[in-house]
Amino acid sequence: MKVSVMQENLARGLQIVSRAVSSRSTLPVLANVLFRTEDAGLKLTATNLEIGITCWVPGKIDTDGAITVPARLITDLVNSLPSGDKVDLDLQGATMLRIRSSLGETHIKGIDAEDFPAIPTAGDRPTSRIAQGVLRRALEETAFAAATDEARPILTGVLARFEGATVTLAAADNYRIAVKTVPLLDPVEDTSIVVPARSLTELSRVLADSDMPVDIVLAPARNQILFHLESIDLVSRLIDGQFPNYQTVLPKGHATRAVMDRDDLLTAVKLAALIAGTSANIVKLQVGGAEGDAGTGLTVTANAEVGDNEGRVEASVEGDGTTIAFNARYLTDVLQNVDAEQFALELNGPLSPGVFRPIGDDQYVHVVMPVRTAS
Amino acid sequence: MIGIVTSAPARTILHVDLDAFFAAVEQRDRPELRGKPVIVGGGGPNDRGVVSTASYEARRFGVRSAMPLRTAAALCPDAIFVPVDGRKYVAESRIVLGIVRRFTPLVEPVSIDEAFLDVTASAALFGSGRDIAVAIKAAVHAETQLTASVGVASNKLVAKVASDLRKPDGLVVVEPGDEAAFFAPLAIGRLWGVGERTRAALVPYGVRTMGDLAALPEDLLVRGLGPHAATLRARALGIDDDPVSDGGPAKSISHEHTFDVDTADPEAIERTLLAMADGVAARLRAAGLMAGTIHVKVRDSSFRTITRQRTMPEPTDLTEPIWRAALELARPEIRGRRIRLLGVGASNFERPTQIGLFGAAEERRRLAIQASDRLRRRFGDGIVVRARLLDRRLPAPFERDVMRPVDRGTLGTFGREREKVEPVEREPVDEDVRFLDASDEAP
Repeated sequence: MKVSVMQENLARGLQIVSRAVSSRSTLPVLANVLFRTEDAGLKLTATNLEIGITCWVPGKIDTDGAITVPARLITDLVNSLPSGDKVDLDLQGATMLRIRSSLGETHIKGIDAEDFPAIPTAGDRPTSRIAQGVLRRALEETAFAAATDEARPILTGVLARFEGATVTLAAADNYRIAVKTVPLLDPVEDTSIVVPARSLTELSRVLADSDMPVDIVLAPARNQILFHLESIDLVSRLIDGQFPNYQTVLPKGHATRAVMDRDDLLTAVKLAALIAGTSANIVKLQVGGAEGDAGTGLTVTANAEVGDNEGRVEASVEGDGTTIAFNARYLTDVLQNVDAEQFALELNGPLSPGVFRPIGDDQYVHVVMPVRTAS
Repeated sequence: MIGIVTSAPARTILHVDLDAFFAAVEQRDRPELRGKPVIVGGGGPNDRGVVSTASYEARRFGVRSAMPLRTAAALCPDAIFVPVDGRKYVAESRIVLGIVRRFTPLVEPVSIDEAFLDVTASAALFGSGRDIAVAIKAAVHAETQLTASVGVASNKLVAKVASDLRKPDGLVVVEPGDEAAFFAPLAIGRLWGVGERTRAALVPYGVRTMGDLAALPEDLLVRGLGPHAATLRARALGIDDDPVSDGGPAKSISHEHTFDVDTADPEAIERTLLAMADGVAARLRAAGLMAGTIHVKVRDSSFRTITRQRTMPEPTDLTEPIWRAALELARPEIRGRRIRLLGVGASNFERPTQIGLFGAAEERRRLAIQASDRLRRRFGDGIVVRARLLDRRLPAPFERDVMRPVDRGTLGTFGREREKVEPVEREPVDEDVRFLDASDEAP
């Protein structure tokens, strides 16, 4: 293998694929990045067996070949080289990679490319396409709600339900669920898959905030999903199992509805969380007047051993006044991740789910379960 | 210690410790064993297990608890080996506890063969600490034909050392105010919380006795040994304000298992953790409790003991989350080691307040679990068995101590150090389990 690439291109490629490098694996080769010459450039691949990222770096190939080298080391090394440098990579013997730049040369011991797992890249016709900016925003608004603990593995994933010309993304842990429906560029056959939220978080990092499409290739037989961007392929395993039927937990109506500015509510909740965070992190919302009394505004309160807090939020309230308590983190999560000027909060009393809807986006809904309080 | 001196009236604390308990029970029930060296534990001199208890006759040959049976056989070739009969000892232990509870309701069983009693308020009825100790010893002997050694002092720490001093059938009274003088000449190793490591760390200071330790300036000790040295020095002076806990509501529930033979087999370890998680979960449900914290205890073949704990994302009383947490906590600690003991515990009991999103499914699972709980109560534990635990010769999980609802102190201030010096395993009720009964052994 003998190939020349520009430092900044190689550094960018390594930065992208190294997100998939396995930090703790029993398989040493998974801590490495695969370098392989392909077509008119260098193909970089890394995987932790859950997700695989491939990135094509333009370059000039003298001879073909492949090698894997430790990801951390090669990334740090290339980042330390001057930008604008031409970097020459060539194999010395079977498993030694020589890196030459204006600063001299480095040799890094690698592992044979044959030992690296096969990572599929896009070759198949895409199942569908979606605008990158649209998918990116939908992922930002949903993936955070997925469970992080493995108690129910299915909930560590995001449900993607393809229906005609739309895909609905749903993510939930035991206490909240985020659902967003977005348009596809090509209609598809109805199908549902569950993609690890971690994979989608990585995907949203590489998605551009633009209308450029990302290809989606579904290979259900191989239990994988592949996203193809211009110079990047991201493949993820899917999670087996049945995602809970989220439609049954979305409330059908409401007794109370408050509309307020996102920033006002977020600020009030964050303040209250300073107090609440010292114990169970529970904040109470008083919406409208007390006990069915129609009133205006919303009050956020927190009580703990260290002290208490009460904050007022301007809101237009319809329906019965009510109080409800939530884990503050679930409120800050939805208010921070969903981009909207205003939110509607729909309630059905203190023990029923609270529904957050961004004003102006009827394709998104977020349900948070309340906390039972003593009083 | 927090340095505010209060003038609380002196307490009267008794530590009651049955002498060579398991061996004594066997010698009582089998007259042919009396006066002979008896070793309780395992399957005999060629078994790979360890000594649970040795009779005083066997101890004269150097046989000690926790010693491999083969070593014991070599030291004492005439020893008679007797298998452990956990059920019998538990029954006996209950009788003794019944006796001491006649004198005070403030009884804290520490293990199967020892308990702390707070008799401060019993003086008007039963007399001084010494009077009560004498009465308890007499009653125990009359009703069980066993002997107990009793220490009387103003706190648990001193009472425990006192009971140990004149075994067997001893009675040592330390008057209030005499604690430091009583401790001063005693070897530092007698102090609760001093293990090999601490002892070694104290060597450069010339510390051999508790008096030596007490005489050292506190700041010097803290600089050299770390913050716990201040507590250690206070203890060397015989200062201890730990109350006798009469149980009260349980603070933790835990199960432990000592392997017959130390193991590194991941499958055996996982299954054992599962069995214990299952047992802990069942007891949580039986008590109507949800645990917010799960801990594991791992002891390896070199007696290094580690406890690890984790706060759960939500309180639980179900096997799977407890098992999963236990596995994750134990995994880094078992790698590359031969494991002697595993324990799984639950604490930090709380009521769940966060309402669940998918409550319906959870509810159905809970109903299934409750149904199997009812089946087990009615027909015995074997009626419903997890598939993974089926057909395996694994002992049923058992409590750390059947009579001790509260595992106080297992995660106490001294942490590892204290765990390490405890040479005692006391797991009742199971034929597969080796009993170690080392508490009444002179160190």
